Amino acid sequence: MVHSALGILIFGLTLGAIMVRPYHISEAFAAAIGAVLMVLGRFLPPNEALRTLAGEWNIFGFFLGLMVISSVADQAGLFEFLAAQTGRLAKGSARRLFLGVFLVGALTTAFLSNDATALILTPAVYTLVTRLRLPVLPFMFACTFIADTASFLFPISNPINILFFNSLGSGLAVFLHYLLLPALFCMIINFSLFSFLFRHDLRRSYDVDSIPLEFSFDRAFFRFTVITLSVISIAYVLASAFQLPLSFVAMGGAIFLLIGSRRFVNWPRLRREISWSLFIFISGMFIVIKAIENLGFVSKFGFGLVNLARNSPAMAILITSMGTALGANLINNVPMALVMISALSSVGADGPVHQSLVYASILGCDLGPNLTTIGSLATMLWLLILRRKGLEISYIEYFKLGVVVVPVMVAVGALLIWLHW
Amino acid sequence: MRVLCAVGSRGGPEMIRKLRAIMGAQHELLLLHVIDTGPRQSLDAFLRGPGSHHRPPPPLERERRVDEVEEFVAKTTLEEARQEAEQAGYTIHAEIQRGQAEKLIVQLAKDGGYQLIVIWSSEGAQGHPQIGPASIGRVARYVLDHAPCDVLMLREL
Repeated sequence: MVHSALGILIFGLTLGAIMVRPYHISEAFAAAIGAVLMVLGRFLPPNEALRTLAGEWNIFGFFLGLMVISSVADQAGLFEFLAAQTGRLAKGSARRLFLGVFLVGALTTAFLSNDATALILTPAVYTLVTRLRLPVLPFMFACTFIADTASFLFPISNPINILFFNSLGSGLAVFLHYLLLPALFCMIINFSLFSFLFRHDLRRSYDVDSIPLEFSFDRAFFRFTVITLSVISIAYVLASAFQLPLSFVAMGGAIFLLIGSRRFVNWPRLRREISWSLFIFISGMFIVIKAIENLGFVSKFGFGLVNLARNSPAMAILITSMGTALGANLINNVPMALVMISALSSVGADGPVHQSLVYASILGCDLGPNLTTIGSLATMLWLLILRRKGLEISYIEYFKLGVVVVPVMVAVGALLIWLHW
Repeated sequence: MRVLCAVGSRGGPEMIRKLRAIMGAQHELLLLHVIDTGPRQSLDAFLRGPGSHHRPPPPLERERRVDEVEEFVAKTTLEEARQEAEQAGYTIHAEIQRGQAEKLIVQLAKDGGYQLIVIWSSEGAQGHPQIGPASIGRVARYVLDHAPCDVLMLREL
């Protein structure tokens, strides 16, 4: 009993440290310490810890491949090109440009994952919009939001999906069956609400000629990257349809891309842009969650959910998606996803009850971070408001973004999953 | 009279034309454009914010590109206003600053002993009628509240 309580304590402290980050320690460090404590406290034998990590090779390979592909695409100028092209196609209307940014964001997220959109496309769009002398904040919010909203279009659109897919997945068809409609609806809701909230800013026009014509990147490098990315995208779809490990595609694609463009790639920059600490973070979390799983609490939680789902499916789906969204927002979506996976896989029930809960969790884990994004930005904007007595209506609207948009999307998504089951 | 013209990202030439129509051209103008660092800080906060364990610092190349574009836009904006002001026969100084626009405008007006600040009611005003409640943006509002001198607020009617 004391031993179990100690395990729960380590688990709680690890999550707390990830959340609060005392003394500015990194999330990776917190997760690693948690994992070491779990092993030292004999909650998980060292060899089982190693086996757990080895069993997740698909995830590690996928993450690494994805980061390499995104970084090379960025170096080849893909995102600047996409932003400039969107600017040209929108023909001077801020509203059309806004729609264009949503579409490009969705496309980037669908095939290169949410991080590529949030981290690489956002700055490219920021630069373009500044050049066009349009207000930058609406476009920045559009990019960062669509990165999460479009991230359940495909299994590869968010690494979190791969976590679920790896242990609970049942092929692309089932994934799309449950999540395609919610994804499309959430994107429409996201776009419509934002267009309304930012309607004043989007009434403007801009001069298309101010978008520079010259392309400052190497054309051969760019062409090779675009062609390779197209092939990789098709391979992703095929691999998830035939349930082949997605890391094969990501790693294979990354290696091919690196060999083909070895003359152009800025290697030190590539090394810098790959976040090695992510691997420590996920490894730590895998071990901590596995240890907690051994204590049996997580499966009780899973059984509780499945029982609830049998009695009242709509309620269970809504609670699962809202709960995971909130949890993903509070403690970061990787640990939240791992807890849900662990809970749902230990139940072992198959069929629609189980499936719909899995997809409700994916929905929550993918959309949840939108609240965090806005949480941090909103706090900053709140400080701005306090500092400046002149309060502008649009700033209040920013608060509405996260608080209004996310629950609406989660609720509609959950409803659609329920209708499908 | 020494006049500080707060030139936003648009509407510089129009500001000079209006100023001339209202009070003639026998004045000394400071054309000031402030590169607002607020949105950039929000972007950085996002890129390095919560959950950013897997977010390496943005590459220097990208930072430099954003800097360049911001500078370029600031220069173009001021140049447009400068040409118009020169034709009208004003004595001109031009200045680019980085920071919080409203505070810098007020501070510079104070430090430089300016007698008038000219400002658009909001960044969105140029090209669209902006009258009625909530038509004054945060920069203009702060300037109105804190200016050490008279303020001429321009609106697109």
